[in-house]
Amino acid sequence: MTASLIPIWSVDVVGSILMIVFAFVSYGMSLRLKKRDPNNIILTYLLWVCLALFVFAISRSAGHLLKQIFLLIDRRDLWTAIQPFSGAVNTFTFIVVASVTLFFERTWVIYGTILKDRQALQNAHEELLYLNQNLEQLVEKRTEALVISEQKYRRIFEVSKDMILVTRRDGRIVNINPAGRNMIDVQSASGGEALDHQYFRDFLSGSGDWGAISRHIENRGFISSEEFDLVLKNGVRRRVLLSGSLAKSPSEDGETIHFLIKDIEQRRLMQKQMAQADTLASIGELSSGIAHEINNPLGIILGYTQLLLRSEDAESDRFNDLKTIEKHVQSCKAIVEDLLNFARTSSPQKENLDIHGIIEDVIGFVRHHSNLENIDINTDFAPRLPLARIDEKKIKQVLINLLMNAIHAVEREGTITLATGINAATGRIAVEVSDTGHGIAKENLSRIFDPFFTTKPTGEGTGLGLSVSYGIIKGHGGNISVKSEPGQGAAFTLTLPVSPPHSGR
Amino acid sequence: MKLNRILFVFSAWMALWLLTPSAPALATQGHAGIEGVWVHQFAHMFFLFSMLLLIYWLRQAGLVKRPGWRFIQYAALFFILWNLDAILVHFLDEQVRAVSVNHLGNWKIQVTAVDGYDWLATVYYLTKLDHLLCVPAMIFLMMGLRHMLKEVPPATTDKGGRR
Repeated sequence: MTASLIPIWSVDVVGSILMIVFAFVSYGMSLRLKKRDPNNIILTYLLWVCLALFVFAISRSAGHLLKQIFLLIDRRDLWTAIQPFSGAVNTFTFIVVASVTLFFERTWVIYGTILKDRQALQNAHEELLYLNQNLEQLVEKRTEALVISEQKYRRIFEVSKDMILVTRRDGRIVNINPAGRNMIDVQSASGGEALDHQYFRDFLSGSGDWGAISRHIENRGFISSEEFDLVLKNGVRRRVLLSGSLAKSPSEDGETIHFLIKDIEQRRLMQKQMAQADTLASIGELSSGIAHEINNPLGIILGYTQLLLRSEDAESDRFNDLKTIEKHVQSCKAIVEDLLNFARTSSPQKENLDIHGIIEDVIGFVRHHSNLENIDINTDFAPRLPLARIDEKKIKQVLINLLMNAIHAVEREGTITLATGINAATGRIAVEVSDTGHGIAKENLSRIFDPFFTTKPTGEGTGLGLSVSYGIIKGHGGNISVKSEPGQGAAFTLTLPVSPPHSGR
Repeated sequence: MKLNRILFVFSAWMALWLLTPSAPALATQGHAGIEGVWVHQFAHMFFLFSMLLLIYWLRQAGLVKRPGWRFIQYAALFFILWNLDAILVHFLDEQVRAVSVNHLGNWKIQVTAVDGYDWLATVYYLTKLDHLLCVPAMIFLMMGLRHMLKEVPPATTDKGGRR
């Protein structure tokens, strides 16, 4: 193929010149870039790439231009001498450009890390600057927030109805809230007796209680909802629910224990009463079932006994035997009747009645049938008492039971008082029968309403009187309770429903 | 100090080696003939490979979204094409000697391909215009740098001399 040399020659010459020009310009630009941001590693890298390309372009283009010049002036021998050197330089510059290029990835990663670090430093610097400029304001704000927070928690501490107590690990009281002070009756430092000299273990009833609390806290770091008895200054015991945990406060030297102590005495009493009521209800159901089963055979025995009595001579031994049977069967029937009353199988026939009248009747009845020579029976009636919605016969039975028990308790000499009143909280009539007798032992208090429980000698009582009274009062929707201290008498209180307002007196 | 001493010993040794009259280097391997072409071709391939990697990394880093780096990517692409062109030319006329060129005078040349492959002569003639590839590569490099100059704000110096 024959072709013109001009295109190749002109592209070679012009291209070589342009390569040199552009290489210079590019290198100049990369230098300017580098000057603008001397610490930028990417721009440093670009400078190296441009420098390598610059050397490559100069070497190659200069070689090409020299070749064309030597060929034009017909000095091929000179070009033949230079050609290997020019070619070697070109080869070397390729390798340099390629080698520098291979560093791009690492350079970029380093650049990214530098940027990240720079940003982090910048952020830290800005934050420091902000803190420096606004320190006073920030401290003021934080102080205000702390004061509010302190007030909030102080208020919780002060107004809590439960005891909040802070002690050292040995139980020495460090701080106690007003509710706690009231409960265990200790004074604050300002109130006289210093708290520093008081130990919480002195208020615990059991000698090993503090040891148990300490062990719990030692092993687990806390104690949760454990029941203990506190002994107050007047010797009264109070059941409490205690929770506490070990805390290391930075402002105090050493560890402290923070306690939350809840008074559950009332709740415990209520639970006891409820348990007793449940027990009595169960016994009532059982008694009712047995009484029904026994009542029918007793009726038949009594019927046949009375039938046999008709045909017997009144003077005969058989007649006397039958009379004995009749007497005991009737006694059994009375007991069964009492059991049924306790179980409230028959509903009361309620009427609107004046309780004072009923009390007077009962006192008159008792005075008539008992020897009350040295026993005073007083009344303390509240004025304008509403009518009670009660079954007269049954309530009379209850009052007779209570009065007879009181007479038995005071023995030969003493005072029995029957007082009435209205319970402001429930709006119910309250009747209290109190005596100055020997009182009831503490261990018997929870059992006195149990059927067949009696402290009287065998044969003097069936132990059903108070059980029947309990059943009757519960049957009226009322309540019966007892308070007694041994040697200081006893007081039974009945609460009874009143008649609806429209019924009037 | 240690580096300077090493450089001095090395320079002295090189000078001695150049000035000493040459003798047959029987203990070392010769590097004449076609070996130089092979080295040159390897250098082209290395250059081509590095440009391919550069494009890959620029795209991986998402830099091609910026105009400056995008033009540098184009420059790399044209350098790849130029390297392919150069490798082909060296292969045809220096490695396999598939073409021969005779100067006929009067700005005319005779390009002869082996075995009468005339198209190969045409291809060879066109590949000799390699500046049509390497000059655009340099132009794109220059444009890329110019965009970067626009992106990087001029340096300002405060009283303390810190940026």
